[in-house]
Parts: sequence; C-alpha cells; structure tokens
Amino acid sequence: MDKLARLAISEEGFIFDPVSGNSFTTNKTGLFNLKALKEGKGEEEIVQALTEKYETTKEGAEKDVTDFIEQLRYYRLI
Amino acid sequence: MKKVCVAVSGINAVDNPGPGIGVIRSLKEDSVLEIEAIGLAYDAMEPGIYMDWLVDRVFILPYPSGDKEGFLNRLLYVKKAANIDIVIPTLDAEMPVYIKAADYLQSMGIKTFLPTKSQFELRGKTKLTEVANKIDLKIPETRIVTSYEDLVKALNDIGLPVMVKGLYYKAYRAYTYQEATGYFNKIVAEWGYPVIIQQVVSGEEMNVIGVGDGTGGSLGLVAIKKLWITSLGKIWTGVTVKNEALLNAASNFVKEFKWRGAFELECIVSKDDIYLIEINPRFPAWVYFATGVGINLPARLLKAALGLPVEGKNEYSAGKLYVRYTYDIVTDMSIFQSIVTKGEC
Repeated sequence: MDKLARLAISEEGFIFDPVSGNSFTTNKTGLFNLKALKEGKGEEEIVQALTEKYETTKEGAEKDVTDFIEQLRYYRLI
Repeated sequence: MKKVCVAVSGINAVDNPGPGIGVIRSLKEDSVLEIEAIGLAYDAMEPGIYMDWLVDRVFILPYPSGDKEGFLNRLLYVKKAANIDIVIPTLDAEMPVYIKAADYLQSMGIKTFLPTKSQFELRGKTKLTEVANKIDLKIPETRIVTSYEDLVKALNDIGLPVMVKGLYYKAYRAYTYQEATGYFNKIVAEWGYPVIIQQVVSGEEMNVIGVGDGTGGSLGLVAIKKLWITSLGKIWTGVTVKNEALLNAASNFVKEFKWRGAFELECIVSKDDIYLIEINPRFPAWVYFATGVGINLPARLLKAALGLPVEGKNEYSAGKLYVRYTYDIVTDMSIFQSIVTKGEC
C-alpha cells in the first residue's frame, strides 16, 4: 500500500501520482474505496461499509470493490 | 548589487524553441541579481529580438559551424559594445565552440560555466552505456551500425519497432525494415556514420534538469514528465514529479562525472527500471518550468560562475503544471531594420 500512501487525492475524485506524474479521475464510490484502502481497510470491511453507505447488495458491492482493486492494479497504483 | 551583463543565445522562441528566453526570464526574476540581458541571435526573425521586456539588446552572430575565428571575433565585439560579463550558450551546435574557447573567453573578460570537453563527449550515444552503468541506470538494447549489413543484423537482433538515431542528433521510430532503412539513409546523408539502432522501451518519459558545480555537487535538480508534446516532439504541457530513483540517478551523474554547468537527462521509467535515453549538455527549452517551481537554475549557474553564494533550497512540489502558449507581438520595422542593416539593436 506504499503506492497508495503517496497518492494525492482530491475531494472531487482527482488522483495524482507524484512519482509517475500520472493523473486519474474516479467517481464517489471509487473515492470511497480509495480512501478506505489508504486507511488500511480490507476488502470485506470496505464491502460492509459500502452496503451501509449506499443502497447496494453485498454481491454488488463485492463486485465493485474487486473490479476497483483490479483497476488500481492495472494502473500500478497498488 | 552591481548590474551583471549576460549574453544568452537561443532566443529563437519558435515551434522548436531555443532555451534562451526561459534562461533570460529566469535570470530577471531572481531576487538578488540585477541583470542586463544581451540576446545572441543567428537570424533577424528570431522572436526574442522583439521581446524587449526581456531582452535588452541583441547582436547577430555568424553561425558557429562556420569560421570559428569570425565567430569569436564577433563575440569580442559584443563584449566591447555591451560590456558583457558572462555568456550562457544554450544551443547544441554552439557548445563545442564555446567549450573549446572557454579559457580564451575568460582571458578576454567573458566568463562561462560549461562542461569540460570530456564531460561534453559523454552525450555521445556510444558513451551512454558507460554513463548509465556508473549511475545505476539501464539503456535500451543498442547496436552501433556503419553499414546496411550491420543495420539488417541489428534489426534482426533487436526486433521491430526500433529507434534509429544519429550519434548526436535526430531520432526516428521505425516500424518496418523499409522505414528503418529510410531513416538510416537519411541520418547517414545528414550526419554521417555511425547510426544507432535502439530497442523501443515503453514506459513513462521523464526528464531531469540540473546544474552541476564542477566538483561533484548539485546546484539543484527538478524532474518532470511531459504530458503533451508537439509534432516536433517538443513539450507543450508537463508536470513536476518526485521520482526519487530518477533524482538520485541525476545526483549521482553530477557526482560521478563532476559535471559542470547545465544539463538535462532524458529517461524512460518502466516499472522499477530507469533507462537513460539522452544527455543534453545545456538547459532545455522548458528551463523556466524549474524556475516556476522555485529552483531557478539559470540564476544559480550565473551565481556559481560569478563566485556568488548559491541558495541551497532543493525542494519543489510534485504536481505543478507547465503550460506553454503562443503570443503575438505587433511592432514597427525599426528593430528589424536595425538588425538587418547593423546586425544589432
């Protein structure tokens, strides 16, 4: 999670990686996930938090979180 | 403080801009220095000639690739006419002349702050391996070719696509044997042998700008990533980055080779590997970017050359954006007339 720690993340969902110079945008759910990951929360914890905050099923939240983490991996952010 | 009269070349602020205007703007923004800027131009149409809010006087010089004595004599004329204290050359083609004449210019009262001849030769693409090895960088797989047979062998060994490069200038990306042959012939016709065939490395293109003090110390480093380039490959927008591995490599470069003067390292960062692509022994045209984030390298170079104390601050923020733009000047013919008829204004 060292890479996540270095990211600059704005409240509007703009993400800047100061090492690669790359920038990204994400929606509110992505921002929620990213902040939770930065705080060191695990996938299950994030899924639980998502279902509490948003109107979504556990399965839907699981899929979202897994997809999001895969995207972070693809962009070499984790 | 006494006014310092600085002659700066590369005031051709065109689509392939010289670094001169960025250098002058940086010098004039320094809080300590009081600067009179003398532009050294090669053509009456160089936009810097007409940028009178930055360039105080201008002199046309003969091309440095021609008669060397005539070039230096013209510089001595500029010294006499404008009383310049120091010259900061910024163009590739003039560097060898200035480096060779540095002691002579010093004896004539014109200071410089340039790399030595042996440091300057490190920029040759055949020397990159030596440099990269010493500072823990990689270089893309490279072949030096001097014949068509060598070229075909290099293409077979490396595989397509490849970069086809001249020893010092020009670089083309070739996707086919035909393209590679075409670029090979083009480079040979313009620059001669050898030609460099290099593996294409994918990754983030990042550059570091810096100034070495000549004893192994760095007078400041800034790393950037080009976000948008023109069709000529020139930066139009960029962002500062804090890639410690890259900055450490640049710092080691200065330390290992006791680099003196300005430089730019062009690199490709691919995962955890950093490839050294090119060394430029001068300021790049985007030099003002570093000034804008608080590391005024031209001012630091000038202070080092004059023996003045140089500020030690090396911290800058990552995520600062650089945006180049175009601008229009409307003026009358008097400046142009003076430049064309007298060679100065």
